[in-house]
Amino acid sequence: MTPRHEPRPPQDLLGRPLAPEDRELLELYARLHALAARKDLPPAVVMNCRQALVMLWNAAVDLGLMYEEPEID
Amino acid sequence: LSERTWSQYWNPRSETLPKEDLRRLQLVKLQRLVARAYERSPYHRRLYEQAGVTPDDIRSLDDLRRLPFMTREDWMQCQAERPLFGDLITRPRDEAIRYHLTSGTTGRQPLRVLDSRKDWAWIAEMWCYGFWAFGIRPHDTVFFAFSYGSFIGFWGAHYCCEKLGALVLPSGNMSTENRVKQIVEMGATVVCATPTYALRLAQAAQQLGIDLPRQAKVRRIVVSGEPAGSIPATKKRIEDLWGGKCGDTAGMTEIGTIMIFECEKQPGGTHIIEDHFIEEVLDPDSGEPVGYGERGERVVTSFGRGFIPLLRYRTRDLVCKVPHSRCTCGRTGDIYEGGILGRVDDMKLVRGTNVYPRAVEAIVREFREVEEFQILLTREDGIRDEITVRVELTPGQEAAWQEIERRLGDELAAVHEGLRFNVALAAAGELPRFELKAKRLVDLRDQPRPS
Repeated sequence: MTPRHEPRPPQDLLGRPLAPEDRELLELYARLHALAARKDLPPAVVMNCRQALVMLWNAAVDLGLMYEEPEID
Repeated sequence: LSERTWSQYWNPRSETLPKEDLRRLQLVKLQRLVARAYERSPYHRRLYEQAGVTPDDIRSLDDLRRLPFMTREDWMQCQAERPLFGDLITRPRDEAIRYHLTSGTTGRQPLRVLDSRKDWAWIAEMWCYGFWAFGIRPHDTVFFAFSYGSFIGFWGAHYCCEKLGALVLPSGNMSTENRVKQIVEMGATVVCATPTYALRLAQAAQQLGIDLPRQAKVRRIVVSGEPAGSIPATKKRIEDLWGGKCGDTAGMTEIGTIMIFECEKQPGGTHIIEDHFIEEVLDPDSGEPVGYGERGERVVTSFGRGFIPLLRYRTRDLVCKVPHSRCTCGRTGDIYEGGILGRVDDMKLVRGTNVYPRAVEAIVREFREVEEFQILLTREDGIRDEITVRVELTPGQEAAWQEIERRLGDELAAVHEGLRFNVALAAAGELPRFELKAKRLVDLRDQPRPS
């Protein structure tokens, strides 16, 4: 599943190719984002996914991989 | 955790980014930030429409200057017209997870801020840049001499330390004496406080008969909240009293976190976190940029807080930016030499001479015998301004008073074009003590005097 706001970019914000760990981080982010957006999961799953997601957001933004808001709450 | 060798940088990729790339990164973020603010915040859309600017007009970093300034006054007015938060906010209030207020040291209506889950995580992240740069690591035990109230203060630093995996000691409403005892008992290796309160804690330790450098394990004192954190004499005094290195940081409630920090190399200033902020330094009167090495007003654009976009916010902080190459740590974020130098409106004119509280403190702190002080401005006979530095001596130093009075008066006059300062002795415990932002200047010149 693909999140609404962060389609996987082939490059970082500076147009540089992604390193393998960059791709892994963005894939994790996308998967977690999709999980956090599901309506059929219990609060224990959704809220913890949201919390984890904002931590991944920090890592991805620090690395210059993305910038948009996560739009999860 | 197994042993591993950590990078000296929290975020090596961005902290050492060549300047040209850093500027390109800032531009990409700026374009997206402006577009979001325009789309989501009625306040910003109104501001930009009045200025005739649209997001598409931001094609280079120079175009930042096409955006109008944000001011605290506008923000307060916006809140007053549309309580409680004005129409700056980009999201519904129920999506926020934190609410904080400005400290109100300026005596005006406090600003109210909201943060989303992501904003709050980002706030802690900025502190991570600073704490890591100052050598704080997972094995540290970090004591927060902080009241954990509605003022944002060290809240973000607390969560930063949890993220680092350090052992956090929150002291909340503990008394000063109990804080000192816990620092010693728990073997705290890092203490976080305002510079004033770091001194107060050390004084309390002396009164308790505790020799901090010998009996405590504190190796780092992280200070924030007052310009004094970068005054060399104040810092040296804190370091001597604690037996550890003192590092300055500075932030503001309006951005929610710190934007500058001192690294372990301590180059005499604080690095700007340039991948998350654009810091302009402008002439406060003309609004024109000033060059490296010139004093001006900080104007901040933050890429972090999503709930309340902050673009070209006039901080009234007085700073002097110098190139990153001033420091040998390898970070490419430029430096504010001497940290925050004061407030643009801090300067007082006394009989034609400019007086900055920071400059007075830099001299007073050279006097080991002085425990606390206050600057009092009065108007005598309705016409003549007088400046008096009231000092409280460290217990046992009373015999040195006459010498201190003379030397302090002379030294203050020497750096203020010969302006005569009165130096007065205050009784022990008479002057106010501060835990948050110290307010040592009292200007009574416009107040009616009792007959």
